Amino acid sequence: MIKTSRRTLATGAALIALGFAADAAAQQAVKIGAIYPLSGNSASAGNYEKMAIEMGADIINNGNAELAKVMPLAKGGGLPGLKGAKIQMVFADNQGTPAAGQSQALRLITEEKVAALIGSYQSGITLTTSAVAEKYGVPFVNPESVAANLTERGFKWFFRVTPVAADFAKAYSAFLKEQKAAGQKVNSIALVHENTEYGNSVASVIADVFAKDGLSVTMKVAYSANSTDVQPQVLQLKEKNPDVAIFVSYTADAILYAKTMKELNWKPAILIADDGGFNDPAFVKAMGSVTEGLISRSVFAPGKPGSVAAICDALYKKKTNGDGLDDVSARALQAFFVLADALNRAGSTEPAKIQAALKATDIKPDQLVAGYDGVKFNDKGQNVLASTLITQIRKGQYVSVWPKARATDPLVLPYKGW
Amino acid sequence: MSILQPVLQVLTSAAFWQVVVGGLMLGAVYALFSSGLTLIWGMMNVVNFAHGDFVMLGMYTAVVVWTSLGGGPWASVPIAAIAIATVGVISYFLLVRHIMRGPMLAQILGTFGLALFLRYGALWAFGANFKTLPDNLVGHSFVLAGLRFEGARVLAGMMGLVITVLLHLILTRTSVGSRMLAVSEDATAAQLMGIRPQRMQALAWALAGASTGIAGALIATFFYTSPTVGETLAIVAFVTVALGGFGSVLGALVAGLLIGLVESLSAFLIGPVWKDVIVYVLFVLVLWFRPQGLMGKA
Amino acid sequence: MKRGHLVWLAVLVLVLAYPVIFLESPVYQRMGALVLLAAIGASAWNIVGGYAGQVSVGHAVFFGIGAYASVTGFAHFELPPIAGAPVGMALSVGLAALIGVPTLRLSGHYFSMATIAVGELVRVLSSTSDWLGGAQGLGGPTMPRTVMDLSFLTALPYYYIFLAVLAALLGITWWMEQSRMGFYLRAIKDSERAARSLGVSAGRYKLYAYMLSAAFTSLAGSLYLCITGFVDPESGFGILISVKMLVMAALGGAGQLFGPLVGALILVPLEELSNSLLGGKGAGITFMVYGAIIVIVARFLPSGLLSLFAGRPKAAAPQSKPVSGHAD
Repeated sequence: MIKTSRRTLATGAALIALGFAADAAAQQAVKIGAIYPLSGNSASAGNYEKMAIEMGADIINNGNAELAKVMPLAKGGGLPGLKGAKIQMVFADNQGTPAAGQSQALRLITEEKVAALIGSYQSGITLTTSAVAEKYGVPFVNPESVAANLTERGFKWFFRVTPVAADFAKAYSAFLKEQKAAGQKVNSIALVHENTEYGNSVASVIADVFAKDGLSVTMKVAYSANSTDVQPQVLQLKEKNPDVAIFVSYTADAILYAKTMKELNWKPAILIADDGGFNDPAFVKAMGSVTEGLISRSVFAPGKPGSVAAICDALYKKKTNGDGLDDVSARALQAFFVLADALNRAGSTEPAKIQAALKATDIKPDQLVAGYDGVKFNDKGQNVLASTLITQIRKGQYVSVWPKARATDPLVLPYKGW
Repeated sequence: MSILQPVLQVLTSAAFWQVVVGGLMLGAVYALFSSGLTLIWGMMNVVNFAHGDFVMLGMYTAVVVWTSLGGGPWASVPIAAIAIATVGVISYFLLVRHIMRGPMLAQILGTFGLALFLRYGALWAFGANFKTLPDNLVGHSFVLAGLRFEGARVLAGMMGLVITVLLHLILTRTSVGSRMLAVSEDATAAQLMGIRPQRMQALAWALAGASTGIAGALIATFFYTSPTVGETLAIVAFVTVALGGFGSVLGALVAGLLIGLVESLSAFLIGPVWKDVIVYVLFVLVLWFRPQGLMGKA
Repeated sequence: MKRGHLVWLAVLVLVLAYPVIFLESPVYQRMGALVLLAAIGASAWNIVGGYAGQVSVGHAVFFGIGAYASVTGFAHFELPPIAGAPVGMALSVGLAALIGVPTLRLSGHYFSMATIAVGELVRVLSSTSDWLGGAQGLGGPTMPRTVMDLSFLTALPYYYIFLAVLAALLGITWWMEQSRMGFYLRAIKDSERAARSLGVSAGRYKLYAYMLSAAFTSLAGSLYLCITGFVDPESGFGILISVKMLVMAALGGAGQLFGPLVGALILVPLEELSNSLLGGKGAGITFMVYGAIIVIVARFLPSGLLSLFAGRPKAAAPQSKPVSGHAD
C-alpha cells in the first residue's frame, strides 16, 4: 500500500516536473499569476476578465502598431525595462470559494514563482488571496474588488486600482444634484439592492452619502440574489412611483428586473443601475433594446477614436467575437497595464523593487483604458485618482454622458425604456 | 374599523391582486418543474439531486433550438421533451438502475455526481455567460380585468397545470400507469404478475425527463439560462415535492401554488429578503404537523 | 511482529512524517492539512449520517456556527479565533437538540429535506445580521498577534493540529462504536421499528448522535476559520458545505470508522490537483472530472470504497419503502 502511494506521488511529481519543463522553454518570461472565478456563479465575469488580461499580455508581448502611437508599452517585444522579457500569465480558478482562492494563491507563489498576483473579483476572496501574498511578500494588484476594508488592513503589498463604493456614491450624488438644479424632480429615490456582499455594501454607502448630501432615499428594497421572481418588488415600486430608482444587482437579477419592468409597464424618470449585472455584455445584448436611456456607472467608455480606450475596445471585440470592454473587463485590463508598467520601471522581478515601482506609479489619464483621473497609490495602496463615469444606454450600447468633461454624448431624460 | 382599514386598503389595491396572480403563476411553474422530481421520487424512492440540472439542460436545449436552429417555442418544447427524456433514460440505465437498491446515500452520491457532471459539462459546452431568448410571440403581455399577464408565464403556468394533471391521469387511469404503480409498490410482486419492472422504471424516467424538458424549455422563455441556474431551481423543487408529499403529483401542484403565493405575498408585504425565510419556516412547520407532506399517503 | 502491524506502523510513520517529507512544498503541506480538515468534518457527519443512518444535508449549519463563533470572537472581542471553538460547539449542541427533536422523527428523505430547509434558513438569516458581517462576511486576524491566533505562514502547524483533532474524533467514534450506543445505533439503522420493540429509545440515541456530530462539525468550522481567515454566509452555511461532508463520507464508506478519511484522501487532492492543473483553462473541467469520479464510485461501489476491502459486499438489502414520512 505504501509502495503504491509512493509511486502515485512520484508519478504526480513527475507530471508536475513535466509541466515545469514545458514552462522552462519560455525562459526569460516574467510570470504573473491571476486568480479569478472561472467556475461557479461568477464564472461569467471571471472569464471576461481573463480574456481582457490575456489581451493585455498579448499587447505587451507582441505589440500593436496603432496602440503604440499613444502607449509606449504597446510597441511589442515584451518589457523594455526587463531586457525585453515577455509576460507569461498563469491563470487559476478560485471556484468562487475563499479556500480555493487561498490554495491557488499559495501554489502560484510557491510553485509557479510568479512575480506578482492579480485578482480575485469577489471581495471576500481577494481578502484571503491577498493575505497569502502579504505573508510571502509578493505584490498583489487588485483591479475590481470594492469592499472598503480591503485597504484598511495595513498591508504593504496590496494595491487597489479600482474606485470603491464611496466614489460611486459621490458620483451619483453629484450627478443627481446637477439634474435637480437643471429642473428634474429628484424628491423621492428608491434604492433596490441584492442582499449579498456587493449589493449590501454599495447600497449602504449610497444611502450614507445621499443622506449627508441631502438627497432623500424614500424607499429601500433588499432582495435575495438569484431570485426566481421579482414581480412583487417591481409592483411595490410602481405603487410608490419614485422619481429616481437605483438598482444594485447582478446579471441574473438585472435581466429579470428589466423584463418585469417592461411586463408591468413601469418606468421612473431617472433609472440608475449600478454597474454590476446591468453592465454585463450578456445583459446589454439581451435587454439593451428595452432599456433605452438606462443610466449606469462604468469606469469604461470607448471615447474618441484613436484613444487607448477606443483601440483596446476594438481589439477586445475582435477577441471575444463582438463583446466590447465593459466596466469589469476594462478594470482588469487597466490593472494589468498598471502592473506591467511597474514591472517595466522596476527593471527586476524582485518583489521589493516591484513594490517600490508600484508605489511610485503615476499614470496620466490619456494613457488609461479606464476613465480614471490617473493612477497613483496612497500609503494604504488605494488608487487616489480612481473615479467613475456615468453612462447611458443609447441604441443598445453604453455611451458616456457625465461628467461633462468626458461625455461623448448628451444626457437624455426621462428614461425611455422600450 | 381602524384596524381593518389598512387590511382593506391592501385588499383593494390593484398591486395586491397583481401579486396574487403573479404568485399563482410562479407557483404553477414551480409545480411544472417539480412534477418530474416527484414522479421519480414516488415511483422509485430515489431523490434525483441532478433534477435542477435536468431543467437547466432543457433550458439550454430551448436556447440552442431557438437561436442556432431558428425554431420557436413550438419546436423547442417538443425537442427539449425528447432530449431530456433521452437523458433521463440514459441516466436510468447507466446509473440509477444500479444505485436505486443500494443505500440512500449511494443515490445522493450518484445523482450529485451526475449533477456536477452535467452542470460543468454545460459550462464547458455553452460557456459561463447568461443567455436569454429573444423577445417573441409569447413574450408579450396583456391586460385582463385591470391585471397584467405576461404571455410567457401564463403559457408556462398553464402547461404546468396541464402536465401535472396529465401525469396524474396517466398514473391513475391508464393500464401503463397502474403497472408503473404496481412496480413502485412491490417490484417483485409486479414481476410475478408479468410486468417488467425495469421497463416500467425506464418509462418513468422518460416521462419525468420529458416533463422536466418541457419545463426547462418554457422557463427559458422568461428566465435567464446559465450553467448554474439548476442550483437555484433545485432547492425550490425539493421543498415543493417534500411539502406536497413525495410521489403525489397533485400534492406537488398544491405545494407549488402555495409556495409561489407565499413567496410573492411575503416579498410584497414584508420584504423580499424574508420570502425564503418564510417559505422554509412554513415547510418545517408543515413537516412537523404532517410528516408525510400535504398530500402524501399517511 | 505480524505483517499487518508493520503496515499500520508504516502508515502511522508516513502520516506523522508527511509534512516533513514535503517540507519544500507548501502546496502539498496545505493539501495534507485540508485533507485532515475535510476528514474531521466528514467524520463528524458520519456519526449521525453513517452510524445512525440519518442522512443530514444541513450540517453546514454547525460548520458555519463554528466558523462564525470564531470570527465574531475576534471581530467583536479581539479574542483569538480558536477561543470561539468551545462557544461554537456549545451553541451547535444546543441548536442540534432544538432542530433534532422535531426533525429526527422524520424518516429517510423527509429528514434530509428538512435539514436542507433548516440549512438554507440559517444561511439566509445569517446574511441579514450586521453583527455577523451580513452578506460581506467577516475576516479573522490579518496578521498573527500571538501564536494563539493560529495564523501561520506554512500549513505545517495546522497539519498537526488537525491530525490531533481527527485522532481524538476517531477515538471517540471508535469508543462509541464499541459501546452500547453503537450497538443501539446499528439496531436503529437496520430497523427502527425492531429496535423500538426491543425497548431501545431510538429517538434519544439518534439525538445523542446528532448532538455529538454537531459538536465536532462545529469544531471543524472553527478550524476552517483559523486556516482561511474569512467566512461569509456562502462559505460557512452554503449547501455545498453540507453536501461535501456527505459525499466524502459516502465515497469512502459511511458508517465505517475510516470511511470519511478515505473519502477525503481521494476527493481533496483530486479537487486541489485538478484545479491546479486544469482550473486555469476555465472551462469547468475540474468539476466534470470530480462529478464523473463520484458517479463511477456510486455506480460500482455503492457502499463506498472501503467495501473493496471488506470481502464480498453484503447483498444489497431490499430497501423498505416508507409509506409515510414517519419513522417506522
